[in-house]
Amino acid sequence: MSKKIQALESRIRKKISPEVSLREWRSSIVLEGTVSSWDELYTAGKMCANQGYKGVVNKLKVKDLDIPRIKRPQLSDHALQGKRVDVLIIGGGIIGCAIARELSKWQLSILLVDKEDDVAMHASSRNDGMIHPGIEPKIGSKKAIFNVRGNELYTRVAQELDVKVIRCGSSVLFDYKLLKLLKPFLLKRAEKMGVKGVTLLSREEVLKIEPNIGIPIAGAVHFATTGIVSPYKMTVAYAENAVQNGAEVSLNTIVLSMTKEHNRIVSVETNRGTVYPRLVINAAGVFADIVADMAGDQFFSIHPRKGEIIFLDKKKGELINGVIGKPSLFQAQTNTKGGGVVKTVDGNILIGPDAYEQPFREDFSTHMDHIEVLMEKHMPLVKGLSPADVINYCAGIRASTYEEDFIIERSEYVANLIHAAGIQSPGLASAPAIAEEIEKLACQALREVMEVKPNPTWNPIRKGIPELSRMDFAARSKIIKENPHYGEIVCRCEGISKGEIIDAIHAPIPATTIDAIKRRVRPGMGRCQGGFCLPSVMKIISEETGLPMTAITKKGNNSYLVVEETKQTPTQTLGPGGESHE
Amino acid sequence: MSNYDVVVLGGGPAGLAAALASHGKGMNTLIIEREHRLGGILKQCIHDGFGLVRFKEKLTGPEYAHRFIEQVQAQDIPVLLNTYVVQVDKSEAGFELTVVNRQNGIEKIEAKALIMATGCRERTARQVFINGTRPAGVYTAGTAQHLVNLEGYLPGKKCVILGSGDIGLIMARRLTLEGAQVLGVYEAKSTPSGLSRNIVQCLHDFNIPLHLSTTITRVFGDDRVEAVEIAQVDENMRPIAGTEQVIECDTVILSVGLIPENEIAEMLGIQMDAATRGPVVDQHFMTSVPGVFSCGNSLHVNDLVDYVSESGEIAGASAAQYVRETRVRELVEIKKDNQDFLYVVPQHININTSNQQVILYFRSRDIRENMRVTIKSGDNVLFSRKYVILRPPEMERVRFQLKGDIPAGRPIEITMEPAEDKGVAQ
Amino acid sequence: MKNLICIECPIGCGLQAEKNGEQWIIKGNRCRKGEQFAINELTDPRRSVCSTVKTIFKEVPRLSVRTDGEVPLKSIFEVMEQINRVILERPVHIGEVIIENVCNTGINVIATSDLIYLLEAK
Repeated sequence: MSKKIQALESRIRKKISPEVSLREWRSSIVLEGTVSSWDELYTAGKMCANQGYKGVVNKLKVKDLDIPRIKRPQLSDHALQGKRVDVLIIGGGIIGCAIARELSKWQLSILLVDKEDDVAMHASSRNDGMIHPGIEPKIGSKKAIFNVRGNELYTRVAQELDVKVIRCGSSVLFDYKLLKLLKPFLLKRAEKMGVKGVTLLSREEVLKIEPNIGIPIAGAVHFATTGIVSPYKMTVAYAENAVQNGAEVSLNTIVLSMTKEHNRIVSVETNRGTVYPRLVINAAGVFADIVADMAGDQFFSIHPRKGEIIFLDKKKGELINGVIGKPSLFQAQTNTKGGGVVKTVDGNILIGPDAYEQPFREDFSTHMDHIEVLMEKHMPLVKGLSPADVINYCAGIRASTYEEDFIIERSEYVANLIHAAGIQSPGLASAPAIAEEIEKLACQALREVMEVKPNPTWNPIRKGIPELSRMDFAARSKIIKENPHYGEIVCRCEGISKGEIIDAIHAPIPATTIDAIKRRVRPGMGRCQGGFCLPSVMKIISEETGLPMTAITKKGNNSYLVVEETKQTPTQTLGPGGESHE
Repeated sequence: MSNYDVVVLGGGPAGLAAALASHGKGMNTLIIEREHRLGGILKQCIHDGFGLVRFKEKLTGPEYAHRFIEQVQAQDIPVLLNTYVVQVDKSEAGFELTVVNRQNGIEKIEAKALIMATGCRERTARQVFINGTRPAGVYTAGTAQHLVNLEGYLPGKKCVILGSGDIGLIMARRLTLEGAQVLGVYEAKSTPSGLSRNIVQCLHDFNIPLHLSTTITRVFGDDRVEAVEIAQVDENMRPIAGTEQVIECDTVILSVGLIPENEIAEMLGIQMDAATRGPVVDQHFMTSVPGVFSCGNSLHVNDLVDYVSESGEIAGASAAQYVRETRVRELVEIKKDNQDFLYVVPQHININTSNQQVILYFRSRDIRENMRVTIKSGDNVLFSRKYVILRPPEMERVRFQLKGDIPAGRPIEITMEPAEDKGVAQ
Repeated sequence: MKNLICIECPIGCGLQAEKNGEQWIIKGNRCRKGEQFAINELTDPRRSVCSTVKTIFKEVPRLSVRTDGEVPLKSIFEVMEQINRVILERPVHIGEVIIENVCNTGINVIATSDLIYLLEAK
């Protein structure tokens, strides 16, 4: 053991627990032993980060902490048995789907698998939808590089994929006068990082952009390139375009193990059969370290960092024009983002997310104390926001590594494995650039074993589902004449037509659950949260797919919405109680 | 573009009554309804108890609605079904509506007066800050009612109900009758929200326990609800630490309040009352925008449909009156003590009117016994009555005449004071 | 002693009933109706039953029904069982009898929605 590791180990033993031991493995640090809390586990891992090693592999166990096994799909069949593909992408989040789309430019057989019932089920549908300008990451980090490039690429990609991106800009508010002194530092940083459109605004200038700011401010730093996008619509669009260009998406598909020969993965075992890929791309989000481990290449660990987000009624949407934050700019290195107030592409206001370390990778439960803190912290930023405006909230889990930077590289030890791992914020903003890079790495790797030719029929253009409520009346009337289903409103809060729902059901990645339809065309996203339209949407799914109502789910697996028909089973033969009213 | 004197938005009980009243006064009237059929929420309210005041009969919701639908059909009042209003603008003639439907795509309709009878929606799990996971199996009572009564599906087999609102109580009985088990009804308040009749006939009859001062704080389960955490709450309805208990179930039904739907009215910039969450109106149920009327549950949430119809009739007749003859309004505010009254509708009285009769609805802030409610303008007593008991869940309706001296510029006051002596309500 | 809540009017008096031989003595009522209510509840409680019946029509899979009078409280589930066995194969008007003399109670089950209107309106 090197002196450096020895010193680190004794520091950790002193600070945390004598039961922690360290070792070096392929130039990474591995932590082993037992600690008494998740906080200790995290702190020990953190102490090993950025010490000049490739990565931190935290194998510590927490005494008496029961971490549930990864949730497996109910489905089990042989649909993929014996399938040979050029590229297997593990993970159907924004990263996996973007990679599939970029790789579909080439004449390759591509299979993307995800264990959930839809794409964008984890972090990619549980974030604030911000396309960050790229000023926050550490200079020179992968985050910094890919964020700035990704931000630039969004304009073109979103246009090709027919996804709405709004360059709304973000204002980071300051309440002290010393702001001006920071100007040279800030502008220099922006220049160095390649971030354009950074300006310092006076109080008056801020109020011109965001007239409803509810707190005293001295001014703001404004980032013109900040954008917003619907993260799940973007993911779906990437996936659909990939499918249109020949890629295959297999949902409800979990990778269980891998078989290697020498330094290559030869087969990947799933719940739907064994797949034989030439190249494997690990885009498994919070499970990326587990996937890496299956390939014998775990040089990093994911520590799940949770965040909760609140959504407000559209009615309040007009109070802001873009993204408003109270600084975390110069706390960039702390990783725990302050969150902010964001106007989504659909016109709702979003508050959050917060950030906290916790052991569970798939626990999307929300907690009243977090929701309350978010409301207390952010609602005052904008005049006129109140808890009565809350229509929903959710939680997401960031796939953070201890180094807190993206891992975008070809494996050093497994010849046919590429990692796109540790993708946390600004992962959404960086996705187009990450996919571009992985495309390059993948082609390089594949060329070692096969010829890689361009896909002659590649079409980068994907047409989204028409958004009737945003059309002008003439166009809307015309499209209804062509397809009367567009004239039948199913979701009264959001004004969504039956036609849009049918389109989602028959899209390249069919949306056949309530939540999948909701993510694509929004019925149930409004203030009634589906109270009125749920039965109608269920009936449309049933009509279009032939599924009985009892087989329709909220989000796949066992999430059935109704259990049986009435009048089917004899009712209980018990007589009613209540003979008296004691 | 088609033109009408009066357009009624909503074909539920309020809208049907409003259209009949307006049509009855000779107005060219149109009903716009976004669903397939007239009747509104009554279509799914298959329990009885409707119409006791109006028809002296215990009708079910569909029967009550049908009495009005039949009249609308008999009188050939035009109805646009499956039609959704996307925009309302003020126009020279009054109002221009932009609507969408299958037959005509986008269509413009002009009206001299508008009646908002858009009903209400249910408060959701998130609006009462239930946390935990988001599995299938959490429904508002109305959604569950739709699934059971109209579609014929049971949402679950082992249910807990949060909130003792009437729909929740009714659903407790319905689910029990259809073979589901209802483990209990939990109510955060210390008194039930629903009518006593429903407590007796929906819960006591079936031995379903009602737990007061108790709420659901968390939902467990990833795919489908597996359990809920309940906790007792303090006077401020905050959960009391240490009282948590986990109850296994597969379904959560919420009956935690209704919110008037006024999104279309808001497009016209109508002034709203924070207490009712409906528009501020005068005794003709005209809103702050002249020519726009409001009635039924979009005006304020009623507990009896009979009063919903009544408010529709007032709005319908008033809209006709407005179309005939536009008078300048002279509005006098009705002043109330918020400690005593949850709300009062109407919020204003128009004293420049030929119609002297006022129907006023109010709810007390909390349970009060032996109170005298008085409405007066200065010393001019317009109404005074003793009440044995006032309960927030039970809306009170009063009728009085605008007589004597009611000067402009002086608010009319409604007060609640302990009654001089005990007695039976008049 | 038994406690009841009177549901004859919104006041909702709390009633106390005590048996004196064959007679029930009712206290707590503010009016005559309360006494009668309590005696009925204690000697022969009755309820209307409202439910739905299955139909063969896809657009209206269930039609609402109710008893046209009150049936003994203790036979509610028996009535439900009979209601659950019905499959309506023809369009009916509101008020039409669906089950005659349900469970020999002398009470009929009638349609409370107009299937003919509901089907036409589609």
